[in-house]
Parts: sequence; structure tokens; C-alpha cells
Amino acid sequence: MAVVAVPFEKSPSETSSSETSSPETSSPDNLPRRDDEARARLHEVARGAAPVVLARDRAVPLPGPLDDLVPGGTVARGSVLRVTGRPGAGATTVGFELAAAVTALGEWAAAVEVDATLGPLAAAGAGVALERFAVVRRVPLARWATVIAALLDGVSLVLAEVPRGVALGDARRLEARARERESVLVVAETHGAVWPGGAAFTLHAAASAWEEHGASVVDARRLRVEVEGRGAAARPRAGELARAG
Amino acid sequence: MEGPASTRPRRTCALWCPDWPVVAARRFDPALVDTPVVVVDRGARGKVVVSASAEARAEGVAVGLRVREAEARCAGLVVLDADDAADSRAFELVVRAVEQLVPRLVLERPGQLSFPTRGPSRYFGGDDALVARIVACVRELDIANVRAGVAEGTFAAGLAARATEERGCDSVVVPVGETPAFLAPWPVTVLAGSVDATHGGGGDLVDLLARLGLRTLGVFAELPPAAVLGRFGPPGVLAHRLARGEVEHEPVATVPPDELLEAIELDPPATRVDEAAFAAKMLADRLLAHLDALGLCCARVIVEAETEHGEHFSRTWRHEGALTPSTLVTRVRWQLDAWLLTDTVTAGISRLVLAPDDLGPAVGRQLGFWGGDPAAADRAGRALARVQGMLGPDAVVTALDGGGRTPAERIRWVPWGEPREPGRVPGREPGREVPPWPGAVPGPAPARVFDPPVPAELVDAAGAPVAVSGRGEPSAPPAGLRCAVLPDGGGPLVAWSGPWAHDLRWWDTRRRRALWQVVVENGVDGAGDGAGVACLVVLERGRAAVEAVYD
Repeated sequence: MAVVAVPFEKSPSETSSSETSSPETSSPDNLPRRDDEARARLHEVARGAAPVVLARDRAVPLPGPLDDLVPGGTVARGSVLRVTGRPGAGATTVGFELAAAVTALGEWAAAVEVDATLGPLAAAGAGVALERFAVVRRVPLARWATVIAALLDGVSLVLAEVPRGVALGDARRLEARARERESVLVVAETHGAVWPGGAAFTLHAAASAWEEHGASVVDARRLRVEVEGRGAAARPRAGELARAG
Repeated sequence: MEGPASTRPRRTCALWCPDWPVVAARRFDPALVDTPVVVVDRGARGKVVVSASAEARAEGVAVGLRVREAEARCAGLVVLDADDAADSRAFELVVRAVEQLVPRLVLERPGQLSFPTRGPSRYFGGDDALVARIVACVRELDIANVRAGVAEGTFAAGLAARATEERGCDSVVVPVGETPAFLAPWPVTVLAGSVDATHGGGGDLVDLLARLGLRTLGVFAELPPAAVLGRFGPPGVLAHRLARGEVEHEPVATVPPDELLEAIELDPPATRVDEAAFAAKMLADRLLAHLDALGLCCARVIVEAETEHGEHFSRTWRHEGALTPSTLVTRVRWQLDAWLLTDTVTAGISRLVLAPDDLGPAVGRQLGFWGGDPAAADRAGRALARVQGMLGPDAVVTALDGGGRTPAERIRWVPWGEPREPGRVPGREPGREVPPWPGAVPGPAPARVFDPPVPAELVDAAGAPVAVSGRGEPSAPPAGLRCAVLPDGGGPLVAWSGPWAHDLRWWDTRRRRALWQVVVENGVDGAGDGAGVACLVVLERGRAAVEAVYD
């Protein structure tokens, strides 16, 4: 049997003074504690340095034309947004615009791709800071929800393309994770699959019109976006996102 | 230059065992005694020497040398990998010997500790007597090379311990009130380690000071504090205070209230280091998150452990500047390692407490002016590293504009964590996004890029495939595009431009391609004039393919 180092009658606080290297600082139990005074003093010391989180900082302001389309001009942290649109209509660009709103604040965004076709230079064109925009390419479906949950832990916005076969349970868990971590989850239904979970609102890229300029027919773009959702976004809105070439 | 009483730091003794990793390695393996030994660790430039024995130094081996060069200079050199945990275990012996004599030890790192001298030196009859006693006590443990320094403040005491090397003695006691004068001749480079930890880029600050001609602490200390704050910001002020022999921050003369302690009960008790360290990591994260929210930082942490048998252990660890999550976790782990693997504890650890000490306002941490919140970067880095752990390092990438004529050529993916080199593109100037690339496809970058391109059919009004001649002349104007990636499989064209003919390899006449930008009707009614799906079509060897869609 192992030797018990301390006689049974001795209270732990008494033993600490004999065992420890620094009785005064290391076993605060022994000191006459003046916690209220200490607290007040600490509060005063930290007053200049304590971070202040205002209500408006808990939402991401959207720059540019999306500002008018989205109720309040902001995206609440912890919400799920859905981006839809037929291929070529501009859904990917709408996703990039949302990511740009986050990287413009100095925060991080990540994209999860289905088939490794995302064009990052278009993201840069939409205003995304590429050094704070990580892309996860070719995620197997079995790992998809795990990867997104891991990303929601660390980055402020995750732009996730929805593959076919996402379970409703996974979707609900990801919604909860986004809410808990105060990250924005943007689900892009660009590959024909439908997001089984809910969303605060849906941005639908209806169509893009192109204007010719010089030798190129693909230059300036007018992207028609329709927004509808729950709550403040219940009234459908539509507008155009214009970007010169 | 003596400051007011509140800014004068406490008189402190620093005990330093030079080249502790080598000493520790020799204690575990006596065969290494009297042979040249170096301990190496992975640095920014590969494996470099972090510690060398006297025999190796005599042959010209110095700290910071690469392994290969060290081996070239010294024949028969024994190269060992750094093992901080083992160093910490070996240092536990020294700590236990010293704590018989003086209380309130603070460990800096394996091989260095400090303690306030006020009480002990009165007891032992002065600083000199105290230091002699301590050094003799460590010598009894068969550790020949031990040095001590006494001065005001931990930073100055550490330098006093280092000054013993030049003066050729065991200990240097700086007389009371002469610390600023003692600090004055030291070069500013000694500040690098102290400022680095909190603010990042302490090396930069020191470099800058040296380039400005402020080469010694004395010259730097003579600058007015307000000017230093204005020019160098909070890290500059910290460095300035250290250089003047003042305390790092205004001390908060208070015992941290109970709610700042973080404690965890371990059930079943932890007997292995990794179990205890896992719990400690959680505690450390909680502690720092709590302090962060209050706007406080701590420079010291007290690690306390209780075992099943009711034993109670406690040690204080300190880090220059303030503790960050990684430095805190490392120190707690070292301590647990020392307790669990040197048979200090007789049973598993059942309760673990982390208590912050030496609290101060967290003024150093501020939002980065260009790069955003460093804490957010840290969080993002951890999350992305986790995804890399799941899917492999190449799965998480960031993009660079690599320059090129087509969108697919321009994209360069860099695995997350590897350096992004924006300077790679020839002719790039700062402040200009993309240099003009001859023959590049005009217009904005497409949001979908297919690599390899998806086979398609580009046909003229008669339904025949469009061809482009060697001179870049199209056989007929294109009128329709069919491809699997387009909605409804494609359709008639609304507009088109091109072709741009590219010679891929001018020495090979068959390697030619032509690019078209086309807008395909998308079948949505009322979408407006010019509405459609814009894509980039590449024609090579008579076969068309969609390279990109402007989604």
C-alpha cells in the first residue's frame, strides 16, 4: 500500500503551507481575502482594456448593393443563409459577396466545395481578402458535416456548397453549431441539391445580364437577386447587383 | 534615474543553469559526460543548435548554427533532439533543493528560476550570503555550472546572471538602486525575448531600435516615455520600462478573487501525463478566455495539484510579457510531467487548479491595423489545422493570383500554413493587383473554373462545329453551345466575342488553342436585355470545351 504523505487530521490548507514553494501567493486560501475590494480594483484596472461588444458588432454589415436587399443591411451572427440559383445565374458571386463582408472586417471566411470548381479570383473581384479565405476542396460526403462543424468553430463565415444526400439531422446540428459559435453558415444550392434545414433568408440569383465593352461581351454585369425569408425578411424583395467589368 | 517607489520593481534573484538541455541530457545518460554534445530544435531555418556543451563550444559550435555546420566544425559531435519535458523533469530536482531555502519560487523555463530576495536575504544575512548559499546548494546536486544574479526586477536579474560569464564569477549582485546603471551598457537585442512573447514582432522592434541608432538600453531609456508610446506603441512602452529598470506594468496589488481560479476534479484520477495535460489544456483555455473577457492578462500562473492521498503541490510559472494559450499549456504540461514522472506524487492527480497571478490590464493586445484580430486568426488557424488533420494537408488551401492568360492558369492554390509568396509574379508592383498579361482573356474573373475543361459543342447557325484556322480566323460565327454544365444543356447564343488565339508552345505547331467568350440564352423569361449564362469556351485540336462559367 502506498504511503499516505499527509496525516489524516491535517486539513489540506495546512499541508499546503508545508508542501508548497510559495505559501503566500500559491495558496490563496490562507490569506485574509478581501474579494470585494480585489474585484473592484481589478475592474478599475481592466476598465480601459476590457473589450466592449456592442449589439451592432454582433451582426455583419453587408457592403454595397446587398445592403438594400437584406433587411437591416446586416447578417446576424449565428444565422444560416441560403443562396440559390441556376448555374450561370450568379449564385456563386452572391456567396462571394457575403464572404467579402466578413473578410472586410478583418475576420476569416472559408468555403467548402463539392467538385473543386470554385474560381477564387472571382472572389477577389467581389472584394474577398484571399489571404483570409480558405477553401476546402473535394470533401467526401461522409465527412462533410464534420468539416463544416470544425470550420464553424474557428471562422466567422462558412460558404458551404450543398452536396446531394445531406441528412436533416446533420443540417439541424450545423444550424445549432452556427448559433452556438456565432458564425454565419451560407449554404449554396449550386449543385442541384437542396439544403434540408432552415435558413433565416434565401438569396436567389435569378439571372445575370451582360453588357458588351470593347472586344469582350462579358464585361459589366447586372445580377438580379431576390430575397425572401422569415421574420423581418418575410416581404420578398428584389434588386440588382451591378458590377462594372 | 531612480523612479518613484511604485514603479521600482522588487529585488529579485535569478538562478540560471546555462545550457540546461545539455546538463539534463547528461544526467539521464552519463555516457555523454566529457563528450561534445549539442541539443537541436526545429527553427525557422530547419534544425538549429539551441544548446551546446563546453567541449562543443571549444570547437567553434555556437547556438543558432545549423546541425550540418555544427557537425562539420566538431568531429564526434553527439546531436540530441530537444525534449523540454525531460529538461523540466531534471530541473525539478534543482527546484526542490532551492525551495528548501527560499519561498515563492517562480519558474521561467527549465534551467531558469527567480524569486524575490527581500525576506531570504535578511534571513541569510544579505544578498551575497543568500546567493552563495543557493549556489552551493545547487552545486551539491552535481550541477557544476550554475549562476545567479540579483537586481531589481526579473529582467535585470536575468541579465545579472548572464553577466557572470563575462566577469568570470558565479554570481553578480547589483547594488540597490544601481539597476538602471547596470542595464545601460547592454545592447537592445536583449529585449527581444521579453517583448516578443506578448506582442509578436519583438524582434522587429529591436531591429528598428538598432537601425535608429538606439543600440544600448541606456540610450533607449533616455527617451521620454510619451514619445516612445507615440512612436512604438504598447510594445515599445514595455521595452522602455524594462530598459529603465521599471516594472513591466503597474502592479495590481491584489490577490485574484476566487472566481478567477479555474479548477477541475479528475475522476478517475490522472496518473498519466497526457490525461492530466488534456484536462490542463481545457483549464488553460477557460482561464485565458475569462481573463480576456475582463480585459486582463496575467504574467504568472500558479499550477496546483491534489492527489488521491491528499498531497498538495503548487508551483508558479512565469513567462516574459504575458502568458498566451500555447505558452501557458506548455508550462502546465512541463510541471505535470515533472510531478508525475519523478515520483513526486504517490497517487493519481485528483484535482487540478490554475490560478492567475500578477494580473495587469491587457493593453498590449489590440486589433491589428491591417491583418485583423490576432485572436481571430489564431482561432481560424486552429480550425483549419483540424480540417487538415481530417482530410490531409492539401485539402485546405488559399488562392493566389499566379498570372496567366486563362482563368485556370491564373489560379495557384497554396496549402494552408505554407507561405504565400505574392512576389512570385514577375513585374508585380505593390499596390497593383494584377500586372497586364499579354493575351489574357478580358473581363472579370469567372466564379466557376473547370480544370480540366468540360467537353462541349460550339456550333454555327447551320449546326456545324466551329473551327478556327491557324491564323485565328473562325470558320463561321458561332450560334449555339451545348454542354453538360449549362442549364438545360445549353442553347443558342445571345452574344459572343473572340476568338483569342493562343500559341501554347510556339515550337510545337499543334499546340494551339482559341478562346471564345459566349453568352448562352438561359431560358428565363423577362430576365432583360443581354441576359444569359456567360462562359469561356476553349477550342483545341478541333474540340470545344467549357473552361469557365461566370456564375
